[in-house]
Amino acid sequence: MRDTTKSPVEFTALARDRVLQFLQANADTHFAVRIRVASPSPLDPRYEITMIEPDEKCPEDVAFNGYGFEVVMEPESAKLLDGARVDWIEALTESGFKVENPNLAPIGSKPLEGPLADRVRQAIDQFVNPGVAQHGGHVTLVEVRDKIVYLQMGGGCQGCGMASVTLSQGIERILQEQVPEIEGIEDVTNHGDGENPYISASK
Amino acid sequence: MSRVLLLLSRTSYRAAAFVAAAHRLDVDVTVGSNHRQALADLTPGGALTLGVGDVDRSVAIIVRFASDYPLTAIVAAEDDFAPVAAAASETLGLTHHPPEAVRSARNKAVMRERLEAAGFPSPWFHVASVDDDAEAAAASARYPCVLKPLALSASRGVIRADTPEEFGRAWSRIRGILEQPEVVTRSGHGVAEILIEAYMPGREVAVEGIVVGGELQTLAVLDKPDPMEGPFFEETILVTPSRLPESVQREIVSCVQRSVAILGLDDGPVHAELRVDGERASLLEIAPRSIGGRCSTILRFEPEATLEELILHHALGTPIDEYSRAPGASGVMMLPIPVAGVLREVGGSEAALEIPGIEGLEITIPVGQRVVPLPEGNHYLGFLFARAAKSEQVEAALRVAYARLDVKVEPS
Repeated sequence: MRDTTKSPVEFTALARDRVLQFLQANADTHFAVRIRVASPSPLDPRYEITMIEPDEKCPEDVAFNGYGFEVVMEPESAKLLDGARVDWIEALTESGFKVENPNLAPIGSKPLEGPLADRVRQAIDQFVNPGVAQHGGHVTLVEVRDKIVYLQMGGGCQGCGMASVTLSQGIERILQEQVPEIEGIEDVTNHGDGENPYISASK
Repeated sequence: MSRVLLLLSRTSYRAAAFVAAAHRLDVDVTVGSNHRQALADLTPGGALTLGVGDVDRSVAIIVRFASDYPLTAIVAAEDDFAPVAAAASETLGLTHHPPEAVRSARNKAVMRERLEAAGFPSPWFHVASVDDDAEAAAASARYPCVLKPLALSASRGVIRADTPEEFGRAWSRIRGILEQPEVVTRSGHGVAEILIEAYMPGREVAVEGIVVGGELQTLAVLDKPDPMEGPFFEETILVTPSRLPESVQREIVSCVQRSVAILGLDDGPVHAELRVDGERASLLEIAPRSIGGRCSTILRFEPEATLEELILHHALGTPIDEYSRAPGASGVMMLPIPVAGVLREVGGSEAALEIPGIEGLEITIPVGQRVVPLPEGNHYLGFLFARAAKSEQVEAALRVAYARLDVKVEPS
């Protein structure tokens, strides 16, 4: 196990208190806190925070001991969590740890700016939206990250049985022609919430 | 680079799966549909607008298209476009079931006639027109029987009758379905015909396969653990691998292979439904297509591939005999619509997804939309998917998860 003097992860006072409360209530066991990136997808980054017993630590883990408890991470997670912040939220509907991680900021959380984003947006406005508007649909650029374009489909496109065809056979081809340096397109639409899809699937 | 023409009906559940499979195989794709694609004008070669009913016209469009964009394969995602795919493939010399075999398999009455003529064990059956005298048809029927309107699919309008009185009520109900504008405008065969056949007792199973040069390659035998005894035949749970004894499964596969040979289905996917009574398997129907709805999601193969990829591989001329179903068990539950009305809410999704083994839940009808249960309806509410080590675990997970769903329909 490799100890580090600086924690890659910051614990807020609330999160720290919460861990310490648990440890005090279970003082007979030397628990550590393991933080793991369960899914690094920017579409749905997910984290696991668990209390582990000493025999659950691994030799390759990165460990930090500066909050009054030990924090351990797999090396891969430690890299992805560098600069992340762990908070504790307490609300009427949910409570638990929340991880804010600039390395895996969810899609749409970064400002839409830069020449690549501008060109993609222009192509959508000029070519894509006039076409899908004929089916009552519209397409919105959510983000361009690492040359991947993230789009949201709305109106008649949201929930439409042919949305995947429109995306791959239409939008993707147009954007690749207009902005050749893009390397992929992801649809981040929640099609299940479509209220007026152009075409609903049936068996 | 190879180019595949994917034929998708406008209400297809399968569009995303087939398009994704084609991209994974790195082939050019053209989508042919009875729906004019958005952006088609801006993406030459990407889309074709075709009719389901007018096969000759659609074939002419495809042949003309193929002179500019040579096709390596034509694959119909569903039953509706199978005749077009078969006829166009024959004209262009591509791998596919022959048109005559597709016609026979798609029409349940013709299928029965051909199987019986070939000496295949068949139930009593009779074909009537919905315009015939219902009382006379009821008097000549043998009971219990099942009435199946030939124009409909997916158990829609399929009703069991144990007495002439029930026969009369089923007949009226089917007449009502066939008079619905959406059904009347459907193109195709035998719109007003009803196949009346003996009810076959036993458990129901399904077989998924691809016929290669006339030889059935069985991809999965799926159990339907819910009893399907009527009066309606709503599909709910499908689980694979089958828990039936090996000897019975061999009989099931043999029954499908014999049907395939008699009907002449020689190259392409088949989906068969059978009844199993003791050691005996009887064919209910066989379709020249793969499993419907989102059900193919549960089928995974090794080396890693989806069902849609295997179908495309075969159509493109790549051998598929090295593939086998991935280990473990999987299943799907087609969520029934409890009552006619307007869908207001599907609660309990998170609780359902927490059940160990449950891999996904897709509600395919938007809130606010009118829903109609069988036998009049033709939609499922959605699909629950599960995967586990054993089939019984899959079935249990699906049942527990379903019990956690709270479907609110405002009756109308």
